[in-house]
Amino acid sequence: MLMPRKPPKGFRKPHHPERSGAAKGGTRVSFGEFGIQALEPAYVTNRQIESARIAMTRHIKRGGKVWINVFPDQAITKKPAETRMGSGKGSPEWWVANIKPGRILFEMSFPNETIAREAMRRAIHKLPMKCRIVTREVGEV
Amino acid sequence: MSEVKISAELRTEFGKGGARRTRRAGKVPAVLYGHGEKPKHIALPAREFAAALRHGGINQVFAIDLSDGTQALALPKAIQKDPIKDSFEHVDLLLVRRGEKVTVDVPVIVVGEAARGTLVMHELDRMSVTAEALHLPENLEASVEGLEAGSQVTAAQLKLPSGVELVSDPEAIIAVVSVAPSAEQLEGETEAAETEAAEAVEEPTENVPAEATAES
Repeated sequence: MLMPRKPPKGFRKPHHPERSGAAKGGTRVSFGEFGIQALEPAYVTNRQIESARIAMTRHIKRGGKVWINVFPDQAITKKPAETRMGSGKGSPEWWVANIKPGRILFEMSFPNETIAREAMRRAIHKLPMKCRIVTREVGEV
Repeated sequence: MSEVKISAELRTEFGKGGARRTRRAGKVPAVLYGHGEKPKHIALPAREFAAALRHGGINQVFAIDLSDGTQALALPKAIQKDPIKDSFEHVDLLLVRRGEKVTVDVPVIVVGEAARGTLVMHELDRMSVTAEALHLPENLEASVEGLEAGSQVTAAQLKLPSGVELVSDPEAIIAVVSVAPSAEQLEGETEAAETEAAEAVEEPTENVPAEATAES
């Protein structure tokens, strides 16, 4: 599963990442022919990314390629259950990618568009926000 | 590519608020500059502008009738678009003259079908070319017809229309034909990821999220 090797000093227990605003970059399909674009802000965990990738690759079986454009580099902490407040911040629990609307999360290259779309539809079900399938349109602004 | 006639109004209010009011009125804020002239802030009708780009491509030349009675021939230089709504936020228009040579980015499309069992990767989808402003190609075609795995299409192999010169590096790779990954390779990728995850759980390090432990 995707996760940083070692977070830099001072970034082990960060505050929650900013969720407002739209994606500044990574909003176009650049590598493959199809892409999954986020329409809502969300924290996408490394488990969800892996699950979506597996859903896609298992459906296309062979003859295609999948790109993951996001990386879960933010640690989210949690205090243990039945613990009194105080005594410092909780321990890192998950690794998430902070996704803003417009971001392309996955890209895919596959000769058959129907199968590619079905694979991406299955992957979208593994993600925690509304997404849409976009195609790379050469010559589009 | 012939020019498209479009009328434009001169903008009197600027900034975030003014631009938003312009967009709400069904117009696209734009700026017109070039040839050492003073920039003009204008507003273009959004529907007509979008339709022109849809039919003529990103290098559509516009014959603009300004509200002050002047006319200008211009080419979109930079277009800002909303990634969610697909609406135009702002357009930079560059003044051009008839017969003038301009350098623009032209879309490159991959045509044809490569050999069976291969996967075509489209690496570059735009190429810089120099051509006469009113005779810009809508797109360039890179053919992968019958290419075997391991072959590639470079910028030098593109068939350019007459009067068009390539500005980009001729060695730039536009498309690569590779062997399509087999089911085992894709499944192997999944297994490797699962093994890696299992190892990460077995050997907890500082970067692995700690298990929730009750604090006293």
